[in-house]
Amino acid sequence: MISYIIRRLLGIAVTIIFLSLGTFALSRTVPGGPWMKNAEIPMSDKEVAAFKEKYGLDKPFFVQYGIWFWNAIRLDFGRPFTAPELTVTQLIFKQLPYSITIGGLAACLAIFIGVILGMIGAARSNSTLDNVIVSYSVVVGTIPSFVLGFLLAYFLAAKLHWLPAGGWGGPRNWVLPVIAYGIPYTGGVALWTRQCLLEAMTSDYVRTAYAKGVKERMVMAKHVLRNALIPMITSFLPMFPGMMTGSIFIERVFGLPGLGQYFVQSSSNRDYPLVLGITMFWAILIALTYLLTDILYGVIDPRVRLTEKRS
Amino acid sequence: MTTLTQTPSTPATTSLSEERHYAGFWTAAWRRFRRNKLALFGMVYVTLILLVAIFAPYITKYKVEQIFPQDALQGPSAAHFFGSDYLGRDIFTRMVYGARPMLIVGFFTQIFGIIIGTTLGIMAGYLGGVVDWVVTRLVDLFSALPWYLIVLYLVMVLSPSLQNIIIALSITSWVGSCRLVRGLSMSIREQEYIEAAQALGIPGWRVVLFHVLPQATPLLIWAFAAGIPGAVFAEASLSFLGMGIRPPNPSWGQMLAEGGSYFSYWPHMLFFPSAFIILSVLAFQGLADGLRQAVAVNVNV
Repeated sequence: MISYIIRRLLGIAVTIIFLSLGTFALSRTVPGGPWMKNAEIPMSDKEVAAFKEKYGLDKPFFVQYGIWFWNAIRLDFGRPFTAPELTVTQLIFKQLPYSITIGGLAACLAIFIGVILGMIGAARSNSTLDNVIVSYSVVVGTIPSFVLGFLLAYFLAAKLHWLPAGGWGGPRNWVLPVIAYGIPYTGGVALWTRQCLLEAMTSDYVRTAYAKGVKERMVMAKHVLRNALIPMITSFLPMFPGMMTGSIFIERVFGLPGLGQYFVQSSSNRDYPLVLGITMFWAILIALTYLLTDILYGVIDPRVRLTEKRS
Repeated sequence: MTTLTQTPSTPATTSLSEERHYAGFWTAAWRRFRRNKLALFGMVYVTLILLVAIFAPYITKYKVEQIFPQDALQGPSAAHFFGSDYLGRDIFTRMVYGARPMLIVGFFTQIFGIIIGTTLGIMAGYLGGVVDWVVTRLVDLFSALPWYLIVLYLVMVLSPSLQNIIIALSITSWVGSCRLVRGLSMSIREQEYIEAAQALGIPGWRVVLFHVLPQATPLLIWAFAAGIPGAVFAEASLSFLGMGIRPPNPSWGQMLAEGGSYFSYWPHMLFFPSAFIILSVLAFQGLADGLRQAVAVNVNV
């Protein structure tokens, strides 16, 4: 198990290095830069040279990458061009709680509602109720979260004044973004849960369990749920980092100061240190979640451990 | 009498049922497709939207950038079917023209994505070895990150415009079809007829082009259709963030973002883009699902 984790971590490190090299190369080879963006007050050649020298942009590519890499492994991604009073790392950790709160709560909501719907659908498969759940899941999955966000903000905030339409304060401000972000994902979760359960329910070992007289509740708890849980966990756990990064769109709708907003802003300002820092941060987070998922997979499913040792 | 008349008709009915039984791939596929209501809705909707986008100048009497300052921020009326926006532009006209970037992005992204994905997938699956290792690492790299991070980064580097969105989305959309084609060509490689072709001395590119690729066609049709809703979604999302279609050219995502700042008093600016973005993603999704059902049966055989 430990050698497996070490091997995976090395794999992640290689992927991250290649990713950083790719993004770094793109940012340095493409013409233009932060000094081009400000068209109203164009920088003079001298100012551009001074800017380049200050941020080390005049050095050869591999020297630049080497310096960046050496600093990055010590979690120092430099300072953003647009907000030099903070380091990139400080900025990421300052804005992260917003993205984690909204993304994490939305993922929880999506999984909670989705799993319940999926279980009902599987228990009453091919009934009218099941058809309604399946249709709901297909339709709801196609609604972009920012569209739903605007619609909710219009009806619940602007028309009925039940909840604030944006901003960041207490939990009351979280309700609409979390609903708007979570609901479109309930469809996918429900369909997947339903499919996993149905697959487990029609398998041979469940029939065998029934045949030897095991009570239905025991069959459900010991055989169906435990087996269905494996594919469910492997696809639901990566939803957390995925939804924390994807909150870009919902943050824009409700004017939340999350990390996604910074990514978009720094993208349009060509703020390379910040963009590279955020990209690396998300990539590492997502890769580690996949690793955690695979480890958990081994814990729940003993067969994985066996095959892992043999290979 | 009845037996007499029935006797000669028997061979006819058997030949008919035989014909039905051995119905061509496309006939059978259409029969399966027809059964899916959402798929039929998707087909009708997509056809209509295509026609609207192509014949946009004949459908609306205004121009996209035409401004009616005295009509600014008015609800739907006979003069402006969907109302007008904060500059007094006709929303119906902008919706009609806004269908163009959506369809162009959806179509070309998938074409390029499938060309890249199929080439890499066939190379990886058929050749194996080092090529396979490199392609698999690339696929891993691209699936490790959410698409919008890569796309936003690329759009930033390339600057937002229609063709750059297509480039950025194509670079991320090849992964799915690559994975499918790689798996398929790995299994096809082991088939006897490939061995036979190789034994006959047919060059590798011919084997790939005439023996491997045709097997992948149904799969690719589905992969093409299945990727379109995602691309439509992505175009709307990027334009919504201001990283997509640049004003004054209209796009639904961009109109949604504009509507977002006015929605508490003039909701019509918000509703039409919202409704059509949802309808379009749903329609393309339905079409793709129908195609999967229509085509998948033969894929498994």
